Amino acid sequence: MSINENDVILQVQDLKKHFMPHQGLLQSLGTKTKKVIKAVDGISFGIRRGEIFGLIGESGSGKTTTGKLVMKLIEPTSGKIVFNGEDVTITDRGRTKAYRRQVQMIFQDPYASMNPRFKIRDVLGEPLIIHKIEGDRLRHEEMIIKSLTEVKLNPPSDFMGRYPHMLSGGQRQRVATARTLILNPMMLVADEPVSMIDLSTRAEILHMMKDVQRDLGLTYLYITHDLSTARYFTDRIAVMYLGRIVEMGRADDVIDNPIHPYTRALIDAVPEPETGMVDIIKELPISGEIPSPANIPPGCRFHTRCPYAKPVCSEQTEPELSDVGNGHFHACRRWKEL
Amino acid sequence: MSMKDFNFRLLEFWSDFRREKAGLIGLGILLFSVLVVLLEPVFLPYKDVNGNWRNISYWEDNSDSAPPAWTNIFTTKKSATTRQFDKPAVTEEEDASYGPVKMYSFPYKYGYDLPPLDLIIRARASGMALMLLELERPDGLIVNLGEMYRDGLEDDDIRFAIDTESKANVFDFAREYASAEAISTSDAQNIKPSYILFSKTGTDMLSARDALKGEYFLHIKVPAFLLEDENNTLDDVRLVVTGRVSGILGTDTSKRDIYSGVVAGLKWALFIGIITSVISVLIGVLYGIISAYFGGFVDTAMSFVFEVFVSIPVLPVLIVMSAIFKPSIWIIIASLIVFSWVGPVKTVRSMALQIKEETYIEAANALGATKWRIIFKHMAPLLLPYSFANMALSVPGTIVFEASLSLLGLGDPTIITWGQILHDAQVSGATLNGLWWWIVPPGLLIALMGATFAFLGFAMDKILHPKLRTR
Repeated sequence: MSINENDVILQVQDLKKHFMPHQGLLQSLGTKTKKVIKAVDGISFGIRRGEIFGLIGESGSGKTTTGKLVMKLIEPTSGKIVFNGEDVTITDRGRTKAYRRQVQMIFQDPYASMNPRFKIRDVLGEPLIIHKIEGDRLRHEEMIIKSLTEVKLNPPSDFMGRYPHMLSGGQRQRVATARTLILNPMMLVADEPVSMIDLSTRAEILHMMKDVQRDLGLTYLYITHDLSTARYFTDRIAVMYLGRIVEMGRADDVIDNPIHPYTRALIDAVPEPETGMVDIIKELPISGEIPSPANIPPGCRFHTRCPYAKPVCSEQTEPELSDVGNGHFHACRRWKEL
Repeated sequence: MSMKDFNFRLLEFWSDFRREKAGLIGLGILLFSVLVVLLEPVFLPYKDVNGNWRNISYWEDNSDSAPPAWTNIFTTKKSATTRQFDKPAVTEEEDASYGPVKMYSFPYKYGYDLPPLDLIIRARASGMALMLLELERPDGLIVNLGEMYRDGLEDDDIRFAIDTESKANVFDFAREYASAEAISTSDAQNIKPSYILFSKTGTDMLSARDALKGEYFLHIKVPAFLLEDENNTLDDVRLVVTGRVSGILGTDTSKRDIYSGVVAGLKWALFIGIITSVISVLIGVLYGIISAYFGGFVDTAMSFVFEVFVSIPVLPVLIVMSAIFKPSIWIIIASLIVFSWVGPVKTVRSMALQIKEETYIEAANALGATKWRIIFKHMAPLLLPYSFANMALSVPGTIVFEASLSLLGLGDPTIITWGQILHDAQVSGATLNGLWWWIVPPGLLIALMGATFAFLGFAMDKILHPKLRTR
């Protein structure tokens, strides 16, 4: 795979999303300042054309929020999103629509992402109607069949008349993928596309997605908490913790030579079905829950759970991402000592 | 949704619905009501009741405040019922004084204890009309009821009421049999002709009034020469026997047939109920969805408007509005809609808030669907079942509201509604005078219509919202 290293299709710069919690009338009169929920707190990354970029983190790390920000389903608090050389952070309705034709999303729950009252034909026809794709019903039908074939739902005519509840999870996720492909997008945001699918079907779906990506030259933003699929599926990885990227680099690099303690912990947490290991529950170096994004620890935000934390970690300012060479970034000031 | 799907869904719904007994009863009554409305002329004894409800002369042949005919079953002395005869036997006869005549004969079987109040002969005639009226009694006596003479007619209705126009002739008839004493204390003006005509003859016939049962014939003799002149026509000869009891539901103090009024009022009850609830529920459902979907300021503003409307007491406002505007059915329907669209808003808003958070709404958003597409294509169809149930459930309210307005005298005077019948009953003191047949039927029907739609609504609610099935 030859990728032009500099051909960046999506550039995210210092993107922030802070949610204001709901307050009653009396609360807002009170002196207490609002606790702002910092779901995404200043992240920057670039995705190259034709690349699969993985965004990894545990629940509450802000990875889904990032996906929604990229999809423009929610407005960022600050920062910049540049897609294909165009600043799309703030767009009017027409440009948003044009943007959504080029960037599509696959949702986590294939059972909920399709209107239960729509047949597969209607599910796939909807983007064509929304974007007023030229052609009569027959032409649309052809396009629907083509995209169903692309996701390997054969024969397509069998599926078109069915309702989503008549399909298995894997089939649904294929339909969801077909729905995104029908508009010939440049980029797909896949938010944990296989996390709710049976293990046995996961690989198949990922295979299919990878084939589609190769065939159509797509770019993926793959959001997941699952390191094993990330390694298999992605080219580059960014690890998120509490709204920040703590480590980013080529998938193999990050997983084989993790630098940040959080990444190490994540990798250690992956269970391995090996002989002799089955009965052993791993002892993880980190413990506890991810802190509330409304109350982010000072200094390095990971220090509360970090096994190597020193007073310096909480006293000094937050470490920025720094390169160790070959495009491997990390945000740990004590990495050399570890 | 294709036709086939729709049929399938309908069949599925029907198989569930069949199990709801109350729903089936409601559906049965509704279908029957619709049948009655469609075949209204068949059910109406007075075909022209629509438009003539407030026309006094249309009802003049009836007796006033007559109980229903079937009340005879419960009384020891049977009363003559109101009957109409319009197919006389026509024969050619020789009359002693008129010469050759055309004779129209109406046979009337009289088997009651209390005679009818009046016999009324009606016809449509042109030019000159002259007729001799005779009543042939079961005892063989023939009573001369007098002559009807009208001239200068142009296809006009002519009417001859024995009760007023035959007093002298009938008194002459009685004079032959009654005692001199009885005759001397009476005169032609204070007798009741029908009492004498349908009683046995005898010296005390003026006071005894012994019913003479059997077959009577009313003969109408028209001189033959009169009809030979082409300028003179006589058609549509009819006899009305004005009974003491009348029809299925009796008459009111204005002689109107209540059954006809009730049947004619059914279509208005259905019309007002269905139109108002369909329109107001559609508005309410859309309002709720929009309020929920847009959220934020729009939601707050729309909720405020909703709160204002929901807290206005409807009836006083409707009374004022009916007083300001000329009461018409359209004004009434419009003002009912203005106040009843709030019904489904709260529920729909809360349901829509839930639907709004579904992933497929977000997915549609991500595909670039517009707000209106999401509202109409994704959210509204899910709320459709609820809307149907709600429509059925809000019909009773509207019917009752219209009835309340009419009862207060603010109804549309050009139509007949059950509320208006009740209003007239109330104004005439029907309760005080014991005219229960004027109050109970329209009242019961209002309740029945309400129950019908309530049954339908409950059944639909249960089927379309499986979560409610435990109710």
